[in-house]
Amino acid sequence: MLIHLENVYKIYGESLESEVRALDGVSLDIDRGEFVAIVGKSGSGKSTMMNVLGCLDIPTYGTYLLDGVDIRELTDRELSHIRNRQIGFIFQQYNLIQSLNVLENVELPLIYQGIGTDKRREMAEEALAAVDMTDRAKHRPAEMSGGQQQRTAIARAIATHPPIVMADEPTGALDSHTGQDVLRFLQELNKKGSTVILITHDNGIAATARRIVRLADGKVLEDRVQEVDWL
Amino acid sequence: MNILQAIKMAFKSILGNKGRSVLTMLGIIIGIASVMTIVSTINGYNEESLKQFEAMGTNKVNVSASRYDGKNVFDELYNYCNSLGSDLVLGVTPNSTFSATVVYGTQNSDVMSKNQDNMWNDDGTMKTGMVLPPDMYFGSNQFAACNNFTIAKGRDLSYLDVQRYKQVCVLGARAAQNFFNYADPVGQTMQVNGLPFTVIGVYAEKDPDSSWSMDNMIVFPYTTSRYLAADTSMTEFVVKAASASATTEVISRLTGYLSGQVNDQNGYFSVYSDNEWQQSSNDWTKTMSLVLGGIAAISLLVGGIGIMNIMLVTVTERTREIGIRRAIGAERRSIVVQFLIEAAMICGIGGVIGILFGVLGTLIAGKLLLKMTIFPAAWITLFAFLLSVALGILFGIYPAAKAAKLQPVEALRAE
Repeated sequence: MLIHLENVYKIYGESLESEVRALDGVSLDIDRGEFVAIVGKSGSGKSTMMNVLGCLDIPTYGTYLLDGVDIRELTDRELSHIRNRQIGFIFQQYNLIQSLNVLENVELPLIYQGIGTDKRREMAEEALAAVDMTDRAKHRPAEMSGGQQQRTAIARAIATHPPIVMADEPTGALDSHTGQDVLRFLQELNKKGSTVILITHDNGIAATARRIVRLADGKVLEDRVQEVDWL
Repeated sequence: MNILQAIKMAFKSILGNKGRSVLTMLGIIIGIASVMTIVSTINGYNEESLKQFEAMGTNKVNVSASRYDGKNVFDELYNYCNSLGSDLVLGVTPNSTFSATVVYGTQNSDVMSKNQDNMWNDDGTMKTGMVLPPDMYFGSNQFAACNNFTIAKGRDLSYLDVQRYKQVCVLGARAAQNFFNYADPVGQTMQVNGLPFTVIGVYAEKDPDSSWSMDNMIVFPYTTSRYLAADTSMTEFVVKAASASATTEVISRLTGYLSGQVNDQNGYFSVYSDNEWQQSSNDWTKTMSLVLGGIAAISLLVGGIGIMNIMLVTVTERTREIGIRRAIGAERRSIVVQFLIEAAMICGIGGVIGILFGVLGTLIAGKLLLKMTIFPAAWITLFAFLLSVALGILFGIYPAAKAAKLQPVEALRAE
C-alpha cells in the first residue's frame, strides 16, 4: 500500500470552545497507480486532506504511512526530502515564483535535489516538452495565460518523476477548455503509472477519476470506484 | 543545493528588486565610506608624521645648557658623552643656528631671505617654487649622525676640521640645489660673511616633499663660530642615543651629569627627548581614530539595522515564495542560506561601492584638511569589505531564521 491513513485527526484549537476538526477520524488506503478524486464542499476538510497527504502538515492524531514510513516520526528535513522526491504538487493558483522564468521554475525542485546544471537543464526541458511549453522557456509567469502557467506548474511537478502527483483544484482558475487539457494530462500521467490524487469540489471533474472519496465535515462520506469519463 | 546555486539565486533576487536593493545598500555605502575616509585619513596623517619623525631622527635627546659666565659647556659634554660608550650614545653635536650671508656666484642668501617675506599667497597657501634661505648650523663631526643625515657626495665634517677651525662646510641637498643648481658643489668655495668656505660634501636628500625642507641647510664646524658669529653662545645640543631604551638611560645620566656642572646659581639646563613628543602625538591620533571611527561605526550600525528591516519586510512579502519553495522540497537550511546570502551580497556590493566612495573621500579629505595625497591602506580596504559582509550576515540572521521557521502550509496560505 502506497498511502495508508488510519484514524487520522487534524484538530485546530484543540480543547477550546472554538475547536475545529478539519479531519475527524479518517481512514483511507490508496494503492500505487490509482487515480483518486477527493471531493467535498468547501470546509469539508479536503484541503487539509491534501496538506496531510502531501506532507505539508502533520496530523494531530492517527497514523499516516507513506510507502510504509510513519510520517509523524520524521524530521522537518526528512519531510522536505519526501515532498521533493515522492510528491509533485499542482496548485489552483499555480504557485510559480514570479521572479524566475519558466525554465528556472521547473528546475527549482531539481536544484533542491542537488542535480548538476546540465542534467537539470535536460530534465526540465523534457518536462516542458511533455506539457508543450518548450517555446516559452524564457518567459516569466506574469507574461503568460493561466493555462500556460498551469502547464508550467505541471512541468515542475513531473520534472522529478515523482511516484505521486497531487493536484489541488488544478482547473479552478482556468476556463473549461484549458481545464479539460489539464485533466486529460493527469489521466495520461496515471496511465503511465503515476498515482494521481485530485482534490476538487466539482463532481464533473471528479468524474475523470476511477475512484471517488467524498468528504464532509472531516469524515469520509463515500468511497467508490466508478466508470471513468475518458477525455 | 550547493552554494554556487544559492549565490546565483540571491543575485537574481537582488536584480529582480533593483530599487529596494539600492535603498538597502545606501546605509552600508554611507557607513563604509565614512568609516574608511576617517580611518584612512587619520592613518595616512599618522604615517606621514612618522616619516617626518624618522627623517628628523629618532632617539634624539635635546640638551639645552647655558652658564651665566658665558663658559662653553660643549667640550665637557662631548667628552662625557663619548665616555658613555656606543651602547648608549652614538653622537653628540651642538645644534645652534645662526644667521650669516652666504654668497656663491649670483646666489645670495640675503636675496633668498626677501622671498621669505612674500612666500604666502593671499589665500594663506604657500607659493610653490620659492627659493628660501638655508638654515645655518654649527655642528660637530657627529652632526650628521645626530640629525639623521647621510653623506651623498664628498665627505662629512671630520674631527680634525673641528679641531683646526677649518673653513669648510657641508650642504643639505636642497641648499646644494639652490646655490649650485645641478653643478657639483664639492670643492667650490662660498663666501660666508665675506670669508671663503670650501664645500667638502653634500648630504643625501631626506625630506623632499615639504616646502620648509630639512634639506635646506648648511653645517659648519662649530669652532668656526669665532669667525662667523662671535656673539653667538652655543646653548643647544643634540645627543643621539643608541636606542629607545637607551634614550631613557641617557636622559637620566645627562641630567645627573649636568646638575653637577650647571646649577641655579651659575646657569640653567634642560634635557628632553622627542620620543615623548612622538609618543603623545601617536596617542592623540589613536584617540582621534577611536572617537571619529566610533561615530562612523554608529552610522554603520544604523545601516545594518536598515538591512535587517528591509530583509524582514522581504520575508513577509515573500512568505508565499518561501511556502512554494518548502512545498517543492526546500529544506529549512536552504531557505536560511538563501536569505543570508542575499543579505551578505547586498552588503558586499554596498561595501564595494562604499569603498570606492571611501577612496574618493580619503583623497578629498587628505587634500583639503592635510594637503597630502592619501590612499587608503590595503588592510583598511580589506577590513571595510569584510566588515560589510559580516554586517550583512549579522543582520540577515534574524530575518533568515524567521523565514525558515514558517510551516510550509502556513506560508503557502499567505497572499
